[in-house]
Amino acid sequence: MPLSSLKPKMRPHSSLKQEFLKKWIMGLQRCSFSKKNMSILERKKAIKFSADIAMASARNGTTCWSRSLISNASKEGSDIHVVEQILGSESDRPAVENKVPTRRASVCKKIVKRSCRIRRRRRRRKCVASAPSSIAKHLVRKRREVLKSLIPGGEFMNEICLIEETLDYITSLRVQVDVMRSLASASVRASE
Amino acid sequence: MESKAGTAETRSKLTAPDGAEVTAFESLQFTDETHRLISAPPTDNASSFTALLELPSPQVVELLHASDSPKLIAASPTNVEDFKRNFHFPSNTGLIERDRRFSGETNNNNEKRNSPESKNLSANLEKAVKSEPAETESSQPLVSDPTLETRSIKRKDRENKVKGSTKKSKTAVNESSDDAQKLPYVHVRARRGQGTDSHSLAERARREKINARMKLLQELVPGCNKISGTALVLDEIINHVQSLQRQVEFLSMRLAAVNPGIDVNLDSILTSESGSPMDSNFPSLVMPVMWPEVQGNGHRQQYQHEWHFDALQQPVWGREEVCNNYITPENSLLTYDTSANSVTLHANQLKMEL
Repeated sequence: MPLSSLKPKMRPHSSLKQEFLKKWIMGLQRCSFSKKNMSILERKKAIKFSADIAMASARNGTTCWSRSLISNASKEGSDIHVVEQILGSESDRPAVENKVPTRRASVCKKIVKRSCRIRRRRRRRKCVASAPSSIAKHLVRKRREVLKSLIPGGEFMNEICLIEETLDYITSLRVQVDVMRSLASASVRASE
Repeated sequence: MESKAGTAETRSKLTAPDGAEVTAFESLQFTDETHRLISAPPTDNASSFTALLELPSPQVVELLHASDSPKLIAASPTNVEDFKRNFHFPSNTGLIERDRRFSGETNNNNEKRNSPESKNLSANLEKAVKSEPAETESSQPLVSDPTLETRSIKRKDRENKVKGSTKKSKTAVNESSDDAQKLPYVHVRARRGQGTDSHSLAERARREKINARMKLLQELVPGCNKISGTALVLDEIINHVQSLQRQVEFLSMRLAAVNPGIDVNLDSILTSESGSPMDSNFPSLVMPVMWPEVQGNGHRQQYQHEWHFDALQQPVWGREEVCNNYITPENSLLTYDTSANSVTLHANQLKMEL
């Protein structure tokens, strides 16, 4: 895939922001906000949760991290109506069921990769080199693992996919932060 | 996995005169897998390698150099059969000699491979036959690569380094010069210390892809442009992602403190919302809702955040805490400020309605 094809993934921020905002508000409505005596932590969790789902659904299943985020969320029965509402708004209901096979396939992949990793770990102990190149590789490998743990669904990706997903994830996180921050500062402004 | 690819070559070698048969053949048991491999359709992201063969040579070289895409990879099934038929050995004795030579050299380095002999064979094939089958042969093992692009590629990487250094120092110059003469086939400039064998080609393509994407990431993450070295850049990226995630948590906590009743008026506001830009909508959305909820500030003290946030009354301080060195968030805030000023009147009117 040539580099230019990566650019369309980074949509113009304004349209993405609007989409995210709409979905987020929809999700917030569905959340159990009606209880007036919700603790602040619960509310925070609900806000974050609906924000994450809105962000992920704004990608329409084009990226791996969004799919795994949604499938993770769909697993818990309590909040699934929120997920369905956000996803259902774009008539994406079949996508919810399709996430489950992806999960299974990725679990199988995970098992295969784990076994490969174990095999390789045994081999690595045989030839512990002190060459600078192998040290550098070791460092890079460690950081790659950390990155995998950060990005949702990252453990199932190969390196190229990981970097692309990171790109996409960073842009959507930025959008999320922007929207939330302007909402928060709007509330602050209202209090003045 | 590489053995499957290797056996494609062994099978094709068998069609050649039997005198060329060497002690290296032990991977014949994989012929079934080879069948499957060959009859498997090419992968999505790979264009036909043999399609490149019809291009004039300078274009092909340009493609190979400029691409970070797997254009090198995956021959289609029919083409595999074609060039197997056209497979000839110029001199059998020369091949046998080189086999003996390389089997001694490369066996030490191939302890990680399933079938060192087939890999040996592929190496020999490149030496013996000048360039025509070498490049076309390379398409076969490359079929396995994109489908199995797991960490087995790292194994190949280690191998390739060793193999490349032992063999290519002898024949790199010859190889490249021969490549230039055989026109209708794919030419790859073999760098010194790097092979033109299939695996290093695939490895090189993959590395280029990764480097291209890392460059994009470096541009995206602020402050990464000056850093050289993958590990440090990855460090920065990890820090960036972590800080963004923390910001999301922080902001959601802040929002949770501010407005318990955000959903109350949202229906009416959403229906009246037009396609106007988001920033100007925010004040109208939020202000009529926020105004009665300012008393919710007492909940702030329950926070256990590392930022010790009490900043509802100190919006400027809170904002600076959160803004690190981003340009875009500050821009959005600024645009928001200008639009907010224009909408305060509107908000006052709404307040009166409430």
